[in-house]
Amino acid sequence: MLKKLTTAAAVLSMGIAASAQAGTLDDVKERGMLSCGVSTGLAGFSQKDEKGNWSGMDVDVCKAVAAAVLGDANKVQYKPLTAKERFTALQSGEVDMLSRNTTWTLTRDASLGLNFAGVNYYDGQGFMVSKNLGVKSALELDGAAVCIHAGTTTELNLADYFRANGMKYTAITFDTSDQTRAGFESGRCDVLTSDQSQLYAIRIGLKNPSNAVVLPEVISKEPLGPVVRQGDDAWFNVVKWSLTAMIEAEYLGLDSSNADKMVKTGSPEQQRLLGVEGDSGEKLGIGQKWAYNIVKQVGSYGESFERNVGKGSPLQISRGQNAQWNKGGLMYSNPIR
Amino acid sequence: MTKTTTGAMGTQARVFEPSPAQPAPVTSTGAYAWLRENLFSGWLNSLVTIGVVALLMTLLPPLFNWLFFDANLSGSTQADCTGDGACWVFIKVWLQPLLYGSYPTESLWRVNLSLVLLFGTLASPFWLPKHLRNKVDIAMLLALPFIAIIILDGRLLGLDYVATDYWGGFALNLFLAAASIILGMPLGFLWALGRRSQMPMARSICVILIEFFRGTPVLALFFMGSVMLPLFFPEGTNVDKLLRVWIVLTLFMAGYMAEVYRGGFAAIPQGQYEAADALGLSFWQTTLLVILPQVIKVSMPNILATAVMLFKNTTFLMIIGIFEVLSTAQNALTNSNWLGGFSTEAYLFVAVVYWVCCFSMSSVAAHIERKLDTSHRS
Repeated sequence: MLKKLTTAAAVLSMGIAASAQAGTLDDVKERGMLSCGVSTGLAGFSQKDEKGNWSGMDVDVCKAVAAAVLGDANKVQYKPLTAKERFTALQSGEVDMLSRNTTWTLTRDASLGLNFAGVNYYDGQGFMVSKNLGVKSALELDGAAVCIHAGTTTELNLADYFRANGMKYTAITFDTSDQTRAGFESGRCDVLTSDQSQLYAIRIGLKNPSNAVVLPEVISKEPLGPVVRQGDDAWFNVVKWSLTAMIEAEYLGLDSSNADKMVKTGSPEQQRLLGVEGDSGEKLGIGQKWAYNIVKQVGSYGESFERNVGKGSPLQISRGQNAQWNKGGLMYSNPIR
Repeated sequence: MTKTTTGAMGTQARVFEPSPAQPAPVTSTGAYAWLRENLFSGWLNSLVTIGVVALLMTLLPPLFNWLFFDANLSGSTQADCTGDGACWVFIKVWLQPLLYGSYPTESLWRVNLSLVLLFGTLASPFWLPKHLRNKVDIAMLLALPFIAIIILDGRLLGLDYVATDYWGGFALNLFLAAASIILGMPLGFLWALGRRSQMPMARSICVILIEFFRGTPVLALFFMGSVMLPLFFPEGTNVDKLLRVWIVLTLFMAGYMAEVYRGGFAAIPQGQYEAADALGLSFWQTTLLVILPQVIKVSMPNILATAVMLFKNTTFLMIIGIFEVLSTAQNALTNSNWLGGFSTEAYLFVAVVYWVCCFSMSSVAAHIERKLDTSHRS
């Protein structure tokens, strides 16, 4: 009896080991579907429309990886995850990757068994004030009443910032972002603070959006990016370079509309990205046209930005820190060659 | 009044004629009396009445204006909501996701069919012939969750496969609540029996199960099911999130039902057991034929209250990222095309849908209780 049990246990553990050893890249190829963890709803980043279609900046990263690996940006199974579940879902293998406005911090990178595969949006905490206050800079906010979403790191950042600059403030906390907005709108506070990408979303919800301005100061660093499991370097590379390809495509002036043309007439760099020359795909273990598929089906980083949160969206967020490095931003792609 | 008539003798005889009854004083009948008695019976009550009326007068017109007269119903985008009233366009556009999640439109008939089956089965005691009820009903009920899963999933029937990621909306709340109530009730009965058992092993296991699932908040159970449980599975094995939640809800329901039944058991007089023993019935015969029906009758109000509670608990699914009706509403509110602040409309819609369902459940419950009320009380 005991012998039988040990044999069964051995077989079971072998089965486990076998399934753990198969890389995520092979799993995804075999399944023909990418399982991607996204947010349950965040304007411009991952949102589901009334038809059930997902869109957003974070969703585009999922699509890019699916386009690179499977050749079809639509072969993604979206797994909506709350903030608390996200890392477990990744660790337990429920999702292949996480693209869910996750801030890259040392603690997360070093202690959760995860790897951040890059940054697809540089966010940071900012301030929104009503226009008739006439405030031009956050440094003029001494003594202000600040509307804030309770229990978030935003609260701590705010305290740090005001103390560092020797200013006083009164915090008025709310439980949900809806209430925070209502508080700001009814004039209970002079200032509303939140992550910049959220400030724009809140601003649209105001009865009269043009009455509110977002101040230029950014008081915290929130680099958001896709995350994969640690210890699966082949997959890590694929996700990292899929994101890089989007940024590189914008730098090289490629987008979904001119990709086909540039395959024939583009510069050597453009052609190398599009897979006409070089063997980048082979090195990553995916098809030679991986980057072409990304650019053609999802678009460059700039396209994705403008479509989801920029000029082509109601959010109207300016590029700011998220512009290309040669245009004053932080988006810098390592060479694809 | 009397009438004077001239008689044969020339004398005048006076014939009695009753005067018609006076109408009751205005102070004791009709609307006036009702008002006086109920609303203005003293100076304090009068004051309260006037205050309440004044409050309603100031509150109701703006409310109705917002709800109906100024509301926007035509159109399909945020820009169509121009008036000051409610933006029902928002609800109209998002109605399908709110009710069905992102289940493919061409396959919606499968959800509807499952709903019809669900309500048909629940109503079956009312339409099945009497002699079939006991046998068919229970089998139908217990098979229902699995039949619904097969229809919704579609693979076994050769229909298009719809993964659980696409299930959602209010239909999901209904299905999950129904499926866990249906399976939780018999399971809870077994646990309650185990708790009364003389066998120490069975008893302690049942007590531990009951106390664990009753003593843990359902929110914590959901988190365990969705966040902790996957870590114990070998990498690569995925038990569907919805399935995990269903199991958690069923066990939660069973824990509560076990305690409800325990109250029922306590109310059964010892004489019932003794009478059954005297008739030579076996343990299971005694339990199923004599005790169980009485236990259910006694605990009916509690059973129904627990069922309604579980139904409302399904909104907690929101916090683990399942698109039931409430999280669908929140998702809709964060859509960048609908950022205009429609939270009042969204939450009002969810509240009304829930209220309608819970109220109907309560009415049916009251009806069942009246029907079952064949008590020993004289």
